[in-house]
Amino acid sequence: MTRHLIGLLVLLIAGLIYPWILPSALTVGVTILLFAGWATAWDILGGWAGQVSLGHACFVGIGAYFVAIGATEYAMAPWWTILMAIAVASVLALAWGSLTFKLHGPYFTLSTIAIAEMLRLVAINEDWLTGGATGVFIDWLPTPFGIDLFARETQYYLALAFAVGVMATIIGISRSRFGYQLRAVREDENSAMAAGIDPTRTKLKAFMLSASLTAVGGGIYGMMLSFLEPHILFYLLLSVQIALTGIIGGRGTIWGPLVGAVLLVSAGEIFRTSFAEANLLIYGVLILLVILFLPSGIIGEFNRRLTRRLYARRAQG
Amino acid sequence: MAELVSLLQNLSNGLLIGGVYAMIGVGLTLIFGVMRTINFAHGDFVVMGMYTAFVFNMILGWDPYFSLLVALPAGFLLGVLLERVVLAPIVDKPHETSLLATLGISLIIGNGLLLIFGGESKSVHVDYASMALSLGEVKISVILLLAGAVTALVIGGLYLLLHHTEFGRSIRATAENRLGAELVGINTRRIQGAVFGLGMMLAMTAGVALIPLLFATPTATGPILTLKAFVVIVLGGLGRVGAAVAGGLVLGMVEVLGAAYIASAYRDAYGLLFFLIILLFKPEGLFGRSVKRV
Repeated sequence: MTRHLIGLLVLLIAGLIYPWILPSALTVGVTILLFAGWATAWDILGGWAGQVSLGHACFVGIGAYFVAIGATEYAMAPWWTILMAIAVASVLALAWGSLTFKLHGPYFTLSTIAIAEMLRLVAINEDWLTGGATGVFIDWLPTPFGIDLFARETQYYLALAFAVGVMATIIGISRSRFGYQLRAVREDENSAMAAGIDPTRTKLKAFMLSASLTAVGGGIYGMMLSFLEPHILFYLLLSVQIALTGIIGGRGTIWGPLVGAVLLVSAGEIFRTSFAEANLLIYGVLILLVILFLPSGIIGEFNRRLTRRLYARRAQG
Repeated sequence: MAELVSLLQNLSNGLLIGGVYAMIGVGLTLIFGVMRTINFAHGDFVVMGMYTAFVFNMILGWDPYFSLLVALPAGFLLGVLLERVVLAPIVDKPHETSLLATLGISLIIGNGLLLIFGGESKSVHVDYASMALSLGEVKISVILLLAGAVTALVIGGLYLLLHHTEFGRSIRATAENRLGAELVGINTRRIQGAVFGLGMMLAMTAGVALIPLLFATPTATGPILTLKAFVVIVLGGLGRVGAAVAGGLVLGMVEVLGAAYIASAYRDAYGLLFFLIILLFKPEGLFGRSVKRV
């Protein structure tokens, strides 16, 4: 636990120094931090509770659209609209989970894609609400204490706070009663039930937490884009990217999603020059390599080897 | 009277489109039945079929249906190869592993096509695209009819293969009980490769049949078709060829009737909504016997 908190402190310091070292790469920094936060939030459901969702883009979309519509139509500040997005995302997760958690394995994954895809169709077709396929342009944001929320630097610090906040949450969960319940449900629902854990309730809590944290990141992403289109925010590929970031880094680990985000976003940036818009090709190649050669993800594999070495040393000594 | 004509018109369109969905679904259900693998790249295989027809039309001026000569063997061989390299090594891992691996294949195919052909959508124009047969006042589009004929031929052929050959019996035995099949001397590893090849071949054939009807875009069309194929097999009941055909026809009907009588913008949503409802209340599928949970 203390080890993880020290790690988090190091991340925070590194994050604060980053804009001075690489001032030209602020956008990449925001993207890495947002994906680290999203993938960690995804992992609460996907890694710790073992329910693979490929629909998380819809929570990103909810966060972003609440911020945008609130600001442009009602002159509402993002902190209020993000609170509203959290409420809507958790209610949606509650309803969605209560309906679908009786489905197992691949059926649950398929239902997440179907629900997110339906929300995308709503966002495209209901022009009065979302501006439809032409999108919404954020033309106003408040300036609390003279801080410019349109500035990339402000957005960077918001994204840093988001990522560190989500990671602090998962560190807290990992040692809590809830964390053990999650792992018990993931390993074997029947045994968990025998131990007095309600699997559906546990999964619902994980889903609601995961959804609302994702929506917070979505709100920051909305400010960063400032021009929102349904085919970016509700897209299946965004859901896939979020999930793959968590999986490649290592599911059910604390640092996996961050490692996944650093690796995938920077790989995406490097290959963007050679592959242009086809830069997700590298995600496909990486996921195959990880699955064939590092099945528990980068951090998962690292932990496995570390444990093995510790046991070996203990056996010798 | 006019309403009846338009209803019959919609029903016939739904049936014919459903036939193509059935062909996509049959390949997926075959793979699922034998390998218990959710093949996330299935829609991208269909798109590969579409691009095959497009390339041969562009370079050699071939009629799309003529490119089946290439698409059929290429699909089979590619499928066997993919199974050998990617899926065979992870056959005993939990189900998400193969789902993610095929998701990786899907990203590679979609973005590979994007890299080679660029992002604009592709189609093949044929002269008979606008032709239609008249049955009374109901018009039946020639392309849809051709696609339906190809579907019927392919599914009929598959049925004969599965039920009247030794190879087909081995496939069905492997799907029914892998261990039992191995005990009677069936090489289930080889069967799995062949089934993935067959599935990819069916998907590419569907792509060839679809290209005069539908635009193909590298990364967008594949996932949509994958989702539709899943809707088809869940509607029908997982793992059975006949049920996938029925599921395909139902999906075609639901989409066409929903678009005609509710709102056309939500065409894709009706199938998904129907799918969720079936999933929640009758997870064994509309036409399925109760199946083992995966």
